[in-house]
Amino acid sequence: MLNIKNLEASIEGNKILKGLNLDIKPGEVHAIMGPNGAGKSTLGNVLAGREEYEVLGGSATLSGKNILDLDPEERAREGLFLAFQYPVEIPGVSNLEFLKASVDAVRAHQGKPELTSVEFLKLAREKCKAVDLDQNFLKRGVNEGFSGGEKKRNELLQMMLLEPQLCILDETDSGLDIDALQVVANGVNNMRSPDRSFIIVTHYQRLLDYIVPDFVHVLANGRIVKTGGKELALELEEKGYSWLEEADNGVA
Amino acid sequence: MSSTAEIERRIGNEYEAGFVTDIESDTIAPGLNEDVIRFISAKKNEPEWMTEWRLKAFHEWQKMEKPEWANLKIEEIDFQSISYYSAPKSMKDRPQSLDEVDPELLRTYDKLGIPLHEQMQLAGVAVDAVFDSVSVITTFREKLAEAGVIFMPISDALQEYPELVKKYIGSVVPQRDNYFAALNSAVFSDGSFVYIPKGVRCPMELSTYFRINELNTGQFERTLIVAEEGSHVSYLEGCTAPMRDENQLHAAVVELIAFDNAEIKYSTVQNWYPGDENGKGGIYNFVTKRAIAHTNAKVSWTQVETGSAITWKYPSVVLKGDNSIGEFYSVALTNKMQQADTGTKMIHLGKNTKSTIIAKGISAGRSQSTYRGLVRMNPGATGARNFTECDSLLIGDKCGAHTFPYIESKNPSAIIEHEATTSTVSEDQLFLCRQRGIDTEKAVSMIVNGFCKEVFKELPMEFAVEAGRLLEVSLEGAVG
Amino acid sequence: MAEQFHAQQLAMAKAATALPFLTELKEQGLEAFSQASMPTRKTEAWRFTPLFKFVGNEYVQAQNNELNEELAAVANIEDLNAARLVFVNGVLNTELSDALALEQVTLFSQANAEQQTLIKNNLGSVLAQAHGTSHLFNDLNNASTTEGVLIHVAKNQQLTQPIQVSYLTTDNKVAFSVNTRILMIVETGAQATLVEQYASDSTAQVSFTNAMTEIRVDDNAQIQHYRLVTIQEEAQHIGGTHVELNRDSQYNAFHLSLGSKLSRNDLVVNHNVGGSHSEISGVYVPQHDDLVDFHTCIEHRAAHCTGNEVFRGIINDKARAVFNGRIHIHPDAQKTHSELSNKNLLLTNSAEIYTKPELEIYADDVKCAHGATVSQLDEQASFYLQSRGISKQEANVILSFGFINELLQALPHKAITHLLRPVLARRFGRDTDELSSHLLDKDLL
Repeated sequence: MLNIKNLEASIEGNKILKGLNLDIKPGEVHAIMGPNGAGKSTLGNVLAGREEYEVLGGSATLSGKNILDLDPEERAREGLFLAFQYPVEIPGVSNLEFLKASVDAVRAHQGKPELTSVEFLKLAREKCKAVDLDQNFLKRGVNEGFSGGEKKRNELLQMMLLEPQLCILDETDSGLDIDALQVVANGVNNMRSPDRSFIIVTHYQRLLDYIVPDFVHVLANGRIVKTGGKELALELEEKGYSWLEEADNGVA
Repeated sequence: MSSTAEIERRIGNEYEAGFVTDIESDTIAPGLNEDVIRFISAKKNEPEWMTEWRLKAFHEWQKMEKPEWANLKIEEIDFQSISYYSAPKSMKDRPQSLDEVDPELLRTYDKLGIPLHEQMQLAGVAVDAVFDSVSVITTFREKLAEAGVIFMPISDALQEYPELVKKYIGSVVPQRDNYFAALNSAVFSDGSFVYIPKGVRCPMELSTYFRINELNTGQFERTLIVAEEGSHVSYLEGCTAPMRDENQLHAAVVELIAFDNAEIKYSTVQNWYPGDENGKGGIYNFVTKRAIAHTNAKVSWTQVETGSAITWKYPSVVLKGDNSIGEFYSVALTNKMQQADTGTKMIHLGKNTKSTIIAKGISAGRSQSTYRGLVRMNPGATGARNFTECDSLLIGDKCGAHTFPYIESKNPSAIIEHEATTSTVSEDQLFLCRQRGIDTEKAVSMIVNGFCKEVFKELPMEFAVEAGRLLEVSLEGAVG
Repeated sequence: MAEQFHAQQLAMAKAATALPFLTELKEQGLEAFSQASMPTRKTEAWRFTPLFKFVGNEYVQAQNNELNEELAAVANIEDLNAARLVFVNGVLNTELSDALALEQVTLFSQANAEQQTLIKNNLGSVLAQAHGTSHLFNDLNNASTTEGVLIHVAKNQQLTQPIQVSYLTTDNKVAFSVNTRILMIVETGAQATLVEQYASDSTAQVSFTNAMTEIRVDDNAQIQHYRLVTIQEEAQHIGGTHVELNRDSQYNAFHLSLGSKLSRNDLVVNHNVGGSHSEISGVYVPQHDDLVDFHTCIEHRAAHCTGNEVFRGIINDKARAVFNGRIHIHPDAQKTHSELSNKNLLLTNSAEIYTKPELEIYADDVKCAHGATVSQLDEQASFYLQSRGISKQEANVILSFGFINELLQALPHKAITHLLRPVLARRFGRDTDELSSHLLDKDLL
């Protein structure tokens, strides 16, 4: 599904990703952990096509298609979804209007028929319930005045509506209380399917108690320095990251 | 990268309403002098006092100087190179029904999407379509007549109700009010006259569609709306003009009189040809709009302005009577090389008068958008209140947005609040939208529509939809 | 009529001899002023500030330069411990002026060769940056400058002692005009405080002061500026402050004009290089038939600059206040944050306010806001105080004072706060101690 080879990227002249390799097959859930500043968020932003980041080398393909040359909206329509760490507020634009525009664009690209407003509204309300968000949020401005947890649930709501093939969750669990965390985890677990993959970027092992990953990677100094199963997360929780970083520096 | 190519393709888009109707016109040679004014007046078979009124205005105009204070760069206008009268030939015998109307004309209206047929009836809209200066047809006149409402071209009103016109014309905007109003008073071609009798609620929205067609003809409409005590009327005005290389002049005057307890709602959607990306062509739009609100009366101006190369327009309300209310809701969008200097004046004379100003300016391309407003509390305006909010949204780094509010108070019990902000469409907002599959243009349009929401909700339903679509069309190619 | 005033001033300027190194500036000033016509009602920058009050007076150079007790007291700002220069009707009073002992301070007439070059190269250069906002009185000042104050704070000097320049006017029998000029240069990394004072005694006088101060703040330098116009009501004042801000520099200022027959104050702050910040507050409190006019203009010419400006006015009796606050963002000034707030209280039916906050923006990635309000004293608040036994008059004095107190309290030099508190409280209390006594009770401060 997603194949990343030797990816190098920088922002404002600082090289953050320094030859990252990652191979994700359909249906797999990969967790990416690592210390602050390791490049975890950069990975999501580069894959989604954020223009401040400059790709210096390497490749990334989604279902065989090179995505690095695509505009952000084209990547989204190809089925790449990024749940933002800090979702931005767009005052004046209602959530419902925004969601419909987004779903219309993605469905049109995929050759699916456009949903009527009535169908869409029904669907949106359903998903609202699924992420435990009051329906009033649909009428408010996008993320406008939402609490941190509400913003994250709004991200999940969008993910459910767009049904992407690759979901990247960028620290979606940060700042959530345990109830909200379970809502997010349930949402993700319900969406797991043989043809959908997940990259879960997280700082805390806690989330992985609820979403059981197939692989856990440690990202440090712009590269994956260690890969293991879900037990690696527990080990990291206990021992921290420094032993891995030192080991990596030793190799480099 | 590829979005740039997309934008360039879109910039190439032709102005949607840019086509020229091929109808023989009855046009006089360019130039302005007393003879021309007498010609216009005679052509319209006007009473003697009207001719004299026009001439008086002309003499005032000759003595006046063009205003220089607006934040506009305007090429010198040669008033002698403009033709001041143009009427479609088929007008000589006024059509009595739609079947008699020149089919070419009807096709023009169809292209513009004016609902002149049954759709119009369904929409409950009566259209007084002004085509190059002369009203072609007025529908639903009978139905309105039943309610006692007069709605007709002002040239007809001069024939049928000369006393009413004489009583009110120039009573809100005198001939010598300003340079362009004086010019209009001298040469005005046609426009609408509306009279709502005491206590009558006008049974439908009244609507006029203006369109400038003939090459080199200035359009000088004059609209007069009189709402008698306790009456109520909502009036819509839509404007569009074909694409021409030359700058065309438009200098209109609109006068509204709301007597005690009356209410007038006046809505405008203006998408006259804005000129091309190099500033070639486009309408020069110099408009004087003013209302007088008597005791307990209410006047609302709502406008969505996306067209014209130059807009110079300050719909005003003189709050003469106690407890009267003035409102101004405006969206002014400028793109390409457009310049707009627009805003409102609220003159508080009476006690407990209230005014609300919500002005939204959007600048894109290399355009300049200026809000210029006056709120004046005269000594008698005890307990008066004003609230003003003007927000500017900038799109791209070559445009400008300016705010010049004049706030004057001579009454301590009056309260004035003015707030203004300027912001931009942020990269983060655009990226969020694009990550959800929404392209940049659509994202900008959504954000812009959201920005304008407060104003759009003041428009009649069908206009609100049109206004939103208009912004989208006008912003095409604005984001790079 | 106004031409008569113009002609008088032109003749006076011509007659005055400029210092040899300033002849060029004088010539330029004369040229510009002689060609300029007096503002009329149609001149946008003077629409609400008619100059007819000048008319009918024969202005001459002042003859009386004597200091009296009242003036000495006015120039004494307790606890400020400033180094002072005190001028009486335009002439330096050597007795009170100890600032000349500082290496940073000199008079134009006493400048050494090096300082002369510095003055010659800089005088008029900050003023010249004000393109659209300059006016003929600036030209007149250039034409009339025969003396001036140079304050030159060298690189990285931290001048903690404030420098106070007081221009005082007193009785002169006939109408007279005074031309004042300050040039302040704060070099890279330096810091300084300037207190400019325009004041007068209570003697009968018809004075016209044309004041001009130019301040150049170099990279990373900071200045704290107070400009206090507390002249008596018959005095006329037209004053300009022009500031040039360079990289990461700061201009912090407080501007006060009590009000007089004519008090026009221009402030132009030029953010020329990135990272500079201006923080300005101001107060005007005209009464009787005073006229106070503030025209401020913040020019943002470079990216990443910030500006914050707050002005409050209380207008009493038949007085008129004019406030024109312009924020001008030039095309390259991306990432600018600039804000302006102007609040006004009208205390009577005859008081007038004309406020015009302007935003003129030619860059897109900026955040700007301005707000203006006009209202009267909050009747509920007044009633609340009355319900606690305070008289309506005193309640109004307390509330008026409250309207500006926030700005006074925020001043970094408490000596200035302490100086102004009684001045303003007494003004609101109409010079009766009983209405302002609680505000002035030192034990309650």
